[in-house]
Amino acid sequence: MSVLHGYDHHGYSTDQVLANTRRIYHNDGQAQNAHQKEETNLSVQAPTRVRSAAVWRIGLVAIALILVSAACGSSGETTSTTTGDGGTDTTQAVSEEITVIFPAHEADMGTAFEARINQFQQETGIKVNLIQSDWDSVADKVVPEMATEGSAYDVVEFDNGWVAEWCGAGWATPLNDYMADGYTDGMIPGLVDLFTCPDGSITGLVWNNDTRFFFYNEAKLTEAGFDNPPQDWAEFVEQSQAAVDAGVVEAGLAPFWNQEWSLGNEFHFWTYAFGGEIVDDQSCIVAQDDPNTLEGLQYMIDALASGVADPAGLTFDQAAAQDVFLSGRTLFMPQGIPGVAAFAEDDTLSSIQGEVAIGTVPSGAPSLTLPEGFAIPASSNHKDAAWEFIEYMTSEDSNRFLAEQIGMLPIWVDLYTDADLVALYPEWNAFSEQLGSVRGLSTLTWYGDLVDISTAEIHEALGGGQSAQEALDAIAAGLEEFNCVP
Amino acid sequence: MLPRCLSLPGSPPGLNEEVNSSLSKPSKHRSAEAKERRFGAALASPALVAIFAVVLIPLANALILSFQQRDLARPETDAFVGLGNFIRLATDARFLNSLRATTFFSVTSILIEIPLAIAIAIVLTKAFKGRGLARALIILPWALPAVVAASMWKWIYNADFGVLNALLQQFGLIDEYRVWLADPGWAMGLIIFSNVWKETPLTVLLVMGSLMAIPNVLYEAAHIDGATAWQRFRHVTFPLILPILIVAGLLQLIWGFQTFEIPQIITGGGPQSATELASLRIYTQTFRSLRFGLGSAMAYSVAVLLLVPAVVYIRKAHKSIVEM
Repeated sequence: MSVLHGYDHHGYSTDQVLANTRRIYHNDGQAQNAHQKEETNLSVQAPTRVRSAAVWRIGLVAIALILVSAACGSSGETTSTTTGDGGTDTTQAVSEEITVIFPAHEADMGTAFEARINQFQQETGIKVNLIQSDWDSVADKVVPEMATEGSAYDVVEFDNGWVAEWCGAGWATPLNDYMADGYTDGMIPGLVDLFTCPDGSITGLVWNNDTRFFFYNEAKLTEAGFDNPPQDWAEFVEQSQAAVDAGVVEAGLAPFWNQEWSLGNEFHFWTYAFGGEIVDDQSCIVAQDDPNTLEGLQYMIDALASGVADPAGLTFDQAAAQDVFLSGRTLFMPQGIPGVAAFAEDDTLSSIQGEVAIGTVPSGAPSLTLPEGFAIPASSNHKDAAWEFIEYMTSEDSNRFLAEQIGMLPIWVDLYTDADLVALYPEWNAFSEQLGSVRGLSTLTWYGDLVDISTAEIHEALGGGQSAQEALDAIAAGLEEFNCVP
Repeated sequence: MLPRCLSLPGSPPGLNEEVNSSLSKPSKHRSAEAKERRFGAALASPALVAIFAVVLIPLANALILSFQQRDLARPETDAFVGLGNFIRLATDARFLNSLRATTFFSVTSILIEIPLAIAIAIVLTKAFKGRGLARALIILPWALPAVVAASMWKWIYNADFGVLNALLQQFGLIDEYRVWLADPGWAMGLIIFSNVWKETPLTVLLVMGSLMAIPNVLYEAAHIDGATAWQRFRHVTFPLILPILIVAGLLQLIWGFQTFEIPQIITGGGPQSATELASLRIYTQTFRSLRFGLGSAMAYSVAVLLLVPAVVYIRKAHKSIVEM
């Protein structure tokens, strides 16, 4: 760039300086009049004036923004709720605000939870900032927040797989001090115990009694030539293959064996299905030495290889597997949520109305129970309001409402004999037989690591990358540092 | 004193003195300069605070964490381990696998993106009806949020309902639907394809800008000399766009190592950890296993690997600015 076209310290180019200078003096060398000089001086001062004007403008905008935000943050805010008929009813002034995060339940195809939460807001005046997403996304938010003692949430998802970890770390607030005496007396004892720490503090209350059940397509089973569901796993294979060969279905089952958290659940189910164990009572890893565990994993591998299990299941999550069953392309859903019974009769979701029946897991094996609870982080700044929310959402009334709306299994014992609910859900009688044989996931402070390593090794075995024994050995080796750590 | 270069030859007597008097008043100007610098600093300070808080402090914190064992789920095991995390990573099969996968992912993506971008850019610099619309549409994949793009591709690749299977069967390329994402090789190929689809438009824009800067006379001269289209490309176009290709390639390499949404949403890192890129592995270790020390060490290990291309890019970019 030519020096002639440099800039002076006012930010004016040299050309402009020369032009200003020429204006002062005419070609005949005479000075301009005072007015013209003043104009020139003003033009030289223009950058300073422009800057001052800019500062003023910025300041005015900032003041305006502050005023607007102050107006928007008025404490006179009211909750606006949607009533059942779709109208809007603004009622109480907001007394407090809490943030609640839990997964969007796969059974909640409508907005049952949201409606119930709106009702809570209306009745209590407590505003709820609700965050819902798929389970993995919620877990990715909740766990780091709890671990870093953040206070972003006031009520959080509390998965049954986290209980040991959270109890040990003291991340959740004991709810005992908030509950009235005997508050949990009417709840299913096992569900209360599951979220109770060794020191007796109840750190979570169940919002989702997610016990799984064995569903099958009775119509297609009959079409394939069978009158009853399988009593053992050999019969399971036999019936599946017969139905596929007859062209009745595409596969015996569509498993949800994508390499993600739920594959850890499946590892537990198929291990239990053959009487195996993954860890013992001392939290020691025994899977690699347990022949029953090996048999369970081998069964999964063989099911894929033989076509009993849809190979696409290696990429399915639970929702996708459920959709395939409801489309009538598979015969069995060994671990379906309770809501499958209701979905099967919904013609917007299912192609198999009137065809689904409920059995028990073959060989008398236990089904998984994967309950989810609400917990209050120890770092929450709104614990009282958070407890009000939990108390409301886990109350017998809310349980009844959610059962009516989306078929959720109650946590209150009385509701299982409620005449209206039983009339609505006759399959609950069928559930009751399986409810006598349920098991939860391994209770480990390092459960997340178990899932991380086992899902990778199992998925490799399912894909043919290694044998079942190699997978179990690799799991044990990968978790060596946690072996026998409670 | 007015610099000699600014002195007007033949200017009236006293002109220079007049100008000097209006322009060169030392203390007043220094005061004005200082005021301007302070004003500039004041305007830049929010950005500097943001950079310091959001970039430098976390970087330093992560470096400190990388020398520690910090397991948030088991705080009783926290300790200073020096290079222990890095030594552990050197033999961590899963982490090394993620590095291999990421390198393959990034390099393969670049090898496809660059030729594709050149071809598309050349077409878009030609005059044709609808060129403006084509240029606008080409940017759409890049403008789409990564999460949206990944979700879209996941459904396209779905074994039962995906458009990919439907189209392939329609064209007779497959007899029955295939589970593409269940095969490690195909899964990697498909996420690379998704990444190329997403990132190529930016490279197209860069190459287009470079192509437009090539003087037409060079092509005319080449044409007069009897050069074929390929010779004109090889001897005129390619050498002149090579600098921008290098820049684009380096940027895409760095971004490839940072890619998270596509593998996370489409495959989750499977099947058999074949698409578990370094970003996913770091995320899992840090935010799911809560091993912040190990996760930080992983992140810094990847950063060191990227240091070489990053330095090359910065030096090249700096050289370009200086030449301007």
